[in-house]
Amino acid sequence: MVSVPSAGRVQQHISAIASGFLGDWLEHRGNPLAVPMTVFADGEALDLKNPQPAAPGSVLCLSIHGLMELESVWDFPAKPDEHYGTHLANRLGDTSALKLRFNTGRPIYRNGQDLAALLERLVTNWPVPVKRLVLIGHSMGGLLIRSACHYGAANDHRWASLNPDCVYIGSPHDGSWLAVGAHKAAGWLNRVPRDYLKVVGEVIDLRSEGIRNLSRGDVFEPGTSDQPLLQSARHYVISGLLAKGEQHPVNVLFGDALVHQSSARGERREGWELAGIANFPGVDHIRLAHHPLVSQQLQEWLS
Amino acid sequence: MKGPDNNTHWWLGVAELVAQGMHHGAVKLKRVHLSIADESFRVLDAIPVTRPGSRLVRVCHHGIARVSYDSVSLAGRVVAEGAASAGARLAMCRQDTTEK
Repeated sequence: MVSVPSAGRVQQHISAIASGFLGDWLEHRGNPLAVPMTVFADGEALDLKNPQPAAPGSVLCLSIHGLMELESVWDFPAKPDEHYGTHLANRLGDTSALKLRFNTGRPIYRNGQDLAALLERLVTNWPVPVKRLVLIGHSMGGLLIRSACHYGAANDHRWASLNPDCVYIGSPHDGSWLAVGAHKAAGWLNRVPRDYLKVVGEVIDLRSEGIRNLSRGDVFEPGTSDQPLLQSARHYVISGLLAKGEQHPVNVLFGDALVHQSSARGERREGWELAGIANFPGVDHIRLAHHPLVSQQLQEWLS
Repeated sequence: MKGPDNNTHWWLGVAELVAQGMHHGAVKLKRVHLSIADESFRVLDAIPVTRPGSRLVRVCHHGIARVSYDSVSLAGRVVAEGAASAGARLAMCRQDTTEK
């Protein structure tokens, strides 16, 4: 185990929010608020050169949070030691429930490349042979999985040949309406011939590359054409909706608050073959990361 | 030997971020302030009676505003660079301590 920075919980949240807004700039400046990519097991950071979790299993279940979040987003309210990973571990047995923390303001493709390399090190150095890999991503975390799968396959990584299970929970594959709105508002304000309005547009434009990527769900290096889903993997999609009635106008306008159902399902992407699709009306974007019904669905699919 | 405290490093990062915000914020606020003031000065400039006086007031107003905002911006930049270099030194110290 490596030492975890002595920063308290509030400091970690401030770092996560600052990283989400300005993560690429923080990283460029070498600012300590930039969150490093770290894997946690039972709340302890793992040393990837020599991971020594308490009880290493042959199945790895890695949960990846979304924009400006920390790995604590997965914890069930009032049950901080329970999350989808631990529920699956109890059901499957011989499973290690891991969580990832990363700088959400970096471009998604760079985080994807780093995640692919991290998974390779993790699988190679894991104390017991890894037989199965389950990747669960919430919001931006799901986009990171798609990106990592592409770069893992492109680099012939061993983990990509383990036929991983990829679960995308509320992930904006076709973009988030809020990120699209920010992009359009900034573009419009920057064209107005009034300096005080241009400044507002410039302030909106300060947003990180990670946030910009969310306006179209960009997960690959610029100039790369859209890539298909990793064929050897099984892909599952989960979406939420604000109101309980599926056709409720609020759902049509806002989806789960940040992501529309169609975007979560990647309906604009061609050739997607999904092993499972589930929708949870009445469960909003954040609650999708720690909801009993979602947990039940995951166990049904993955065990 | 005990290594440098991570917490100090973190606070130096916050100081750099806040000071950079002050540096860039002052520049942007100056532009907002001056461009909004110009809307009023344009109206006063269009009226022959107020034109000479408004031009003089505009020069004074813009001059004082520029000096004020630029001072704040400069102070922010100095603090940001100071915090960044102190943070970098602390990180190097920590690396040395870890290697030893």
